[in-house]
Amino acid sequence: MKVSLFIPCTVDIFMPEIGVAAYRLLSQLEAYPMYHQDQTCCGQPLFNAGYRDQAKRAARHFIEVFGNDEHIVSPSGSCISMVKHHYPELLSDEPSWCDRARELSERVYELSQFIVDVLGVTDVGASFDGKVTYHESCHILRALGVSDQPKKLIAGVAGAQYVELNNANACCGFGGEFAVGFPEISHALVKDKATNFLNTGADVLLLCEPGCLLNINGYLHRNHPGKRAMHLATFLAGSMKEA
Amino acid sequence: MEAHTDRFKETARRELKNEMSQIFLSLLPPGFTILRQIGMSSFPDPVSAVDQARAIRAEVIERMPELLEEFEKNAVSKGATVLWARDAGEANNIILEIARKRSVTYVTKGKSMITEEIGLNEHLIKEGVDAFETDLGEVITQQLSLPPFHIVGPAINVPPEEISAVFLKKGIIKEPTTNPIELGKAVRVYLREKFRHLDMGIVGVNMAVAATGTIINVENEGNIRMTKSSPRTLVAVMSLEKVVPTMADAMHMVRILCRNCTGQKISSYVSMDTGPKKPGEIDGPEELFIVIVDNGRSEIFRDSKTREVLKCIRCGGCLNTCPVYSKIGGYPYGFAYSGPMGQVLNPLLLGIKETSDLYHACTLCGACKEICPAGVDHPSLLLIYRAREVSLKGKDGKALPFIEKTIATFVSLGMSRAWLWNLGAKIMRPVLHRLSHDGYIRNIPFGVQGWFTCRDLPAMPAKTFHEIWTERKHSPVTTSRKT
Amino acid sequence: MHAREEILGRMKSAQPGKALIRPSTQPLSELSLSREQMIQRFTAELSTQTGVVHQASTREEAVKILTEIAAAEGLRSVIATGYNIYGMGLRAFGEANHITVNTLDDLPDREALREIAFTADAGITFADFAIAETGTVGIIFNRHQPRLASIAPPVHIAIIPIEGLYPVYEGAIEKVFSNADDIPSQFSFITGPSATGDIQAVQFKGMHGPLKMIVIFIMGQG
Repeated sequence: MKVSLFIPCTVDIFMPEIGVAAYRLLSQLEAYPMYHQDQTCCGQPLFNAGYRDQAKRAARHFIEVFGNDEHIVSPSGSCISMVKHHYPELLSDEPSWCDRARELSERVYELSQFIVDVLGVTDVGASFDGKVTYHESCHILRALGVSDQPKKLIAGVAGAQYVELNNANACCGFGGEFAVGFPEISHALVKDKATNFLNTGADVLLLCEPGCLLNINGYLHRNHPGKRAMHLATFLAGSMKEA
Repeated sequence: MEAHTDRFKETARRELKNEMSQIFLSLLPPGFTILRQIGMSSFPDPVSAVDQARAIRAEVIERMPELLEEFEKNAVSKGATVLWARDAGEANNIILEIARKRSVTYVTKGKSMITEEIGLNEHLIKEGVDAFETDLGEVITQQLSLPPFHIVGPAINVPPEEISAVFLKKGIIKEPTTNPIELGKAVRVYLREKFRHLDMGIVGVNMAVAATGTIINVENEGNIRMTKSSPRTLVAVMSLEKVVPTMADAMHMVRILCRNCTGQKISSYVSMDTGPKKPGEIDGPEELFIVIVDNGRSEIFRDSKTREVLKCIRCGGCLNTCPVYSKIGGYPYGFAYSGPMGQVLNPLLLGIKETSDLYHACTLCGACKEICPAGVDHPSLLLIYRAREVSLKGKDGKALPFIEKTIATFVSLGMSRAWLWNLGAKIMRPVLHRLSHDGYIRNIPFGVQGWFTCRDLPAMPAKTFHEIWTERKHSPVTTSRKT
Repeated sequence: MHAREEILGRMKSAQPGKALIRPSTQPLSELSLSREQMIQRFTAELSTQTGVVHQASTREEAVKILTEIAAAEGLRSVIATGYNIYGMGLRAFGEANHITVNTLDDLPDREALREIAFTADAGITFADFAIAETGTVGIIFNRHQPRLASIAPPVHIAIIPIEGLYPVYEGAIEKVFSNADDIPSQFSFITGPSATGDIQAVQFKGMHGPLKMIVIFIMGQG
């Protein structure tokens, strides 16, 4: 099986450990991923800000880099959603690129989706002595329909006590430019998310979206130091026994 | 209605601090959402019920001009007069003329968003025809000159003390009271006289059935039935997209609308009028005027990218699931339509330039799209408006947008060339390092301060993933267990 | 005619979109209800809206029930409407109970109707349909059935022949709307009393329409 790792820009720049964890996880499951060094970013920040012509440059580059890969896997729901759902629309006026985008959209996966649905694995050999809870990020849940998969992976962690997060599927208030442009509303939303997390008494809040992670951890660090959220990949890779 | 969409941010900030608003926002949207779920679960297959509603609205979009013609033909054949208005001014004047010709001194009004959009009340009152809102929530917003807080409960958050004060001034109550039921009953008494002597009434239209020429109104209070029954002249105002192909379709949409709106399986009253009263009938209108209002919609319809906005059935379901709305309520949106449905409609009615905050104030969470029974894709529409704003900015030639565009272009170059990307990271690192303490950045004093009002950002690690990969010679797995 | 042509013309110049095929739907579960189950369902649904449901085997029994209601509600004047109201013997009912009974015979015009409808203690109206799905009453308004009688008085008593009981709305809609030449000027579905929650979400009945709704099914002839 040929697996190609797609590292989101936020991970590349701010949280490379998530990328390392994803690599380790997939390697442990014998889906030894390759990593194309000329990858950059899916272009979502530009697209969301309305800069479509500019976003197209990123899209074409992505298609060039990943175009021949059998399975493209990323530890981010929003990035996969960008490629899967928005590339064809973005490139709709360039028929040959649009065709390539449509074709590519069949081969992109969010990490937990790939591990559970394609590799058929829910127990990665991880163990954790403590309580965990899970935040359902918007794109991964609604745009990709991925919800069971992360939960199955969490359930597969020996010893981990799962506590349901109240309003787990409520938006954390990141929204990319939203957190910068509408700080008070974003604040109100991330505060709710943090409060719900703290109320679970869980040791760690797990999630699958780097953007949410920056938002929630940034808030926790400022307001509740000692409490943390963690990417599911980092959590699993850190808690698994290696072969 | 006057638009104040440019005051979004300041009004949002104000509402975030308003205790009464926050209490209602913490209870109402989740409450309505639960009621909607319960209501929808009464369908044998709720998913297919939504699919059916979406298919009906998609057909309406597909066939709108022919459906409108069919509706007009059938309504006219039953004795209704159908009038078309290109814009607010035309509609308001048509309705004013009907009142003037019949020496009408006042009208009662059923709740109608299109009439709020076009500012009908203000026009009539200015020209000497008193216009009395009769839906309790609308009575209050009319008396207090407030925009709607929520599409279903426009004044639900207003403190009873404020209602009491204005009712006392207008003589609706003789003694002050903060009891909501007493206040409501006082309005019943006050308006009963108006209904009894009514010469002309104005209502909106929830659905205009093409196959029969029938207008359908959905309500709980009875003010619309009163307004449709008592006077000799009835004016029903509808925007283009209210048309629905058949009565069977209309019944399905009634089930869907009521459940998504208030969680009810059906509202107290669903009244269906086909033409004016027949000869020999003692009440009901002798004249039924149906005013079909465009006000920008035929243009919206022509634009294949935004046409789907016209699918909206005004159920308010999107308001109840929107994380942004549930923190700020209806006022910041600054027009007759709030929440996600306002965010997708107002920019098309009022202009892209005038409504920038409306289509940026969204996290693109997709909760609205998920529950929308009409099949509107709100996030996609907002992204289209953002793109249109960018292309309009370029044409302005102003300095700031030019800088923004240049930055975006530069970033896009970085996104299409790994060497530039990696170089950019290398350059950014020391800059961010200067701003960080103990591994975290607490503020960046330019461009992105908003992020730092309540949160930190991790300092850029010593290596990007690219660099880790290169350094570890194509394999970032170390022998150590620690990551 | 200018505006119409402009609006329609602009719309017709648009490129048509993509219509979705109507998905197949499951029939509503109410369609399989027996008459007994429909009555139960109707009663349960209307009761949650604070409506009250009676069953009378004959018209005479219905008048007995009316007498009890009139006493309980302290009715002194009513308006009675609907084609079938004449066979009910309501004049006698009125005389026996010192209740003024107005029918359309007494009301020459709209003003007279408004006077009575807005001052009557109750509107007693025949109704054409009862829908089990939601405890909904369906009334065709015509020259025998004025609109105001069921919306203006504070109490609405609907008398419904049991043959008019249908499981879902479509049963009534098909009857009312299928003949294009015979569509009534108004047909309304009425589900319980008038209601609102517009002030502080405090719910109450009787905003502009009736405060109370009572249904009397007539189960047989006579």
